[in-house]
Amino acid sequence: MSDSTVTMPAPPVRPDSAVLLAEEISVHFGGLKALDKVTLEVLPGRIVGLIGPNGAGKTTMFNVLTGLQDASTGRVLFCGSDVSRWPAHRRGRAGMARTFQRLALFTRMTVHDNLVASWESSHGGGVLGRGRQQCRRKVKDVMDLLGLWPLADRLAGELSTGQGRMVELGRALCTDPRLLLLDEPGSGLDAKETATFSAILRSVTSGDDAPAVLLVEHDMALVMDVCAELTVLDFGGVIARGTCDEIRVNELVRAAYLGDASVI
Amino acid sequence: MSAYWPFIVIGIFTGGLYGLAAMGMVLTYKTVGVFNFAYGAIAMFCAFTYWQLHDQWGISAWAAMPILFLIVAPVIGVILEALFRPLSGAAVEVVIVVSLGVLAALSAAAGLIWSQDEHLQAIFPISTFRLGSTLHVGYDQLGTLLISLSMAAVLWGLLRHTRFGTQTRAVVDNPDLSDMIGVHGDNVRRVAWILSSVFAALVGILISPSQGLDVNQLVLVVIYAFAPAVLGILFGLPAAYLGGLGLGIAVSLMSKWSNSGTVSNLEAALPYLLLFILLVVFAKRLKAAGSGAVAQRLSALRSSETVQRLRWSVGSFRIDRGLAAGLGGFVLALLVPLAFPGPNLDFLTQGFIYAVIALTLVVLTGWAGQISLAQFAFVGVGAFTAGHLAGAHGQHFLFAVVMGMLFAAPLGIIVGLVSLRLSGLYLALATLAFALVMDNVVFNRSDVSGGQTGITVARPHFFGMSFTGRAAMYELAVVVFALVAIVAYALRQGPIGRRLHIVRDSPLAASTLGVNLTVTKIVVFVVGAMVAALGGSLYGAWQQAITPQDFMWSASLALLLVVVLGGRSLISGAVIAGVVYVIPLLPQIPTKIKELIPLLVALGVIGLAQEPEGTVALARRQTRYVLGVLRPLPRRTPPQGTGAEPGAPAGVSTRRVVPSHVR
Repeated sequence: MSDSTVTMPAPPVRPDSAVLLAEEISVHFGGLKALDKVTLEVLPGRIVGLIGPNGAGKTTMFNVLTGLQDASTGRVLFCGSDVSRWPAHRRGRAGMARTFQRLALFTRMTVHDNLVASWESSHGGGVLGRGRQQCRRKVKDVMDLLGLWPLADRLAGELSTGQGRMVELGRALCTDPRLLLLDEPGSGLDAKETATFSAILRSVTSGDDAPAVLLVEHDMALVMDVCAELTVLDFGGVIARGTCDEIRVNELVRAAYLGDASVI
Repeated sequence: MSAYWPFIVIGIFTGGLYGLAAMGMVLTYKTVGVFNFAYGAIAMFCAFTYWQLHDQWGISAWAAMPILFLIVAPVIGVILEALFRPLSGAAVEVVIVVSLGVLAALSAAAGLIWSQDEHLQAIFPISTFRLGSTLHVGYDQLGTLLISLSMAAVLWGLLRHTRFGTQTRAVVDNPDLSDMIGVHGDNVRRVAWILSSVFAALVGILISPSQGLDVNQLVLVVIYAFAPAVLGILFGLPAAYLGGLGLGIAVSLMSKWSNSGTVSNLEAALPYLLLFILLVVFAKRLKAAGSGAVAQRLSALRSSETVQRLRWSVGSFRIDRGLAAGLGGFVLALLVPLAFPGPNLDFLTQGFIYAVIALTLVVLTGWAGQISLAQFAFVGVGAFTAGHLAGAHGQHFLFAVVMGMLFAAPLGIIVGLVSLRLSGLYLALATLAFALVMDNVVFNRSDVSGGQTGITVARPHFFGMSFTGRAAMYELAVVVFALVAIVAYALRQGPIGRRLHIVRDSPLAASTLGVNLTVTKIVVFVVGAMVAALGGSLYGAWQQAITPQDFMWSASLALLLVVVLGGRSLISGAVIAGVVYVIPLLPQIPTKIKELIPLLVALGVIGLAQEPEGTVALARRQTRYVLGVLRPLPRRTPPQGTGAEPGAPAGVSTRRVVPSHVR
């Protein structure tokens, strides 16, 4: 299958070298356990999939990782430092970038400006106009990579979902991320767009200083296509973990996607 | 204890009315998602109508009341429903602006029809009876309490035990779903508006006999009920009523203490202080406490708004049409005194100073998306600080101005901190409460403002220049406005403008990219406060005498309205705001027209609320239409003998269709 085609750099084994290590994260909303002791690790250069049925807690996990949601217990290590108490913007500056399941573009700005604003937000002094040359170069590179030039002067609010997802990815890349958190980048995309997206995702993550990726996705074809390893959540807890092939035959996972086993 | 009883009793009576008003506001907020800032104005308008019918035309109460409750109030409700229906998907700020526009329109209309101050006869006999040994209770008070209690009970029963009640709750829960299961949402909303207006009418005629029938007073009294209304939004209708009762008692008790002088002014400020505290404390719960209608509004992606397309150069500063027009305007403005050296120049000076203040709101509301109903509180701080320092203390004018700005800064921090917890409606309410507290607690103090007579301020002297002359003062105002405007313009084109933009468009996404929302919002509010204070010190220096009335909350409200009218996202919008502000001051304008202006402004605001570029957008659209219509038809070329292609008609092919987003 296609997952074997994914080029994986030699995985470093020491846990402190992980880009992201989330330990025993729990989140309670009143009596409801949205997340229950979820542990998650992303090694450098890897694309890790986080899958599970709707309501399994995937987006909550993302919010905890990026600092939009406080965890009740547990801690988040990012590149070796404990970021559990860091506010969202500090994590963003440290190299954590995310996209949103429901597009959160700067709708009344042009696509190009979305990327420029992203660079300025994530780089010290950017808002005061420092590093203009670097900014211009980075934005150009990202626009080239994602093929966004035809949309450069369009307002982000008038794009289609597929285009919007691409702009969100570009915006995340402009922050020079060490970890990309992609929240259902495939939803709302047609088959052709999905194929383009997965090709782009692979080129984004190839290269020496490429970011690691944590991917939440329902489109199993996309997941199996790009991910090296998977973590499966259900009812806020991890029910399985492993390579795509292991997950595909896992009974618990099949049960979680009851009646929907064909997707895996 | 017995000394307190009379105050508690009075408190219960007025509190019942606050409770009634609060319930009326909660009703429309929950069902339609509109917090009705105009509630007090509706109450006032209905009270005046009743006064006209009953006290003026001598119609008996038995006939006048049905006219009021069955015709006038329901008609107002239906009109409001029709007004707000098209706004069901509009952004929160648009709804707030429209509702403030309705407030202004009703006040202006009442001001046109009736004189400012009348006395409404009490509906119940004024005589009192004794309760216990010492307590005298008026029949009017008792009647008021009974009516408010029974109406509260009727509304509660209606919502709990009737079909209308279940339908309302369905609409509150999820307007889309309830429509699908056959609940006629529009009907429910209309009934909610009507009920709410009837409650307002009731509050109006019950409260007016004791408070006096005045165009402004009643509006202010109903703002008292905002705090219980917030309680109602949080904890349901009974909480609104009980909150009203509690507030009434608290205010009444405060008045006892304030008579003894210990807590002067706090009595009047208490309801606003409570509102402010409630909003800040329950910020998190309030976010979740809305309703389906409210949530729908929050998720509306401001789709109705047009967009100003910015240059995407990375921070480079280039001269475009807007800047060129601005510079040209600046030169022209400098030359005006040569042509018109007369007393009219003073009004232009005032207009430019007002434009400086208006510009702070353009940045704050139009660019950063934060609604502030407290700009004139900052203006007042600047004016009084600079006035005292440069006047009585004989300090250098520039030093006084800087100190005024520094005094305003911490207040900006306070509002900025509040804006971190609150947004949209709740931020608007909190800033309103802040302005009212400043009015009552700070500006009322005679050591701050010189009391009702105010303080006198000297015209500025600095760098060997004296600005005592009319033209000199004018040039100073023009230069200050130009400086502020050019800084704003330059910043808008660059990274800072983008920062404001993204914080407004998607604060969540901005923060994950690395934007510190706390710092950004506080900086915006502090700078806004400081520039407003600068405008204030100029205003004081120009006026040479300032009183607390110059900086009342209503001035902040009027500022928001004229800025919306002028175009809240444009620097030229601030200029237009200045012009609109000056027109009613000009002695050449006939009084008849002057009186109409507030009403026209209010109606204009209601019409243009969805348009961030206000009248400018309107003018642009009209010009484009006229130019389009006047374009000559393509010349009909007779078919040539060759039979070759006739060539595309020039008029059609060269013009490109204007993209839809520019509208």
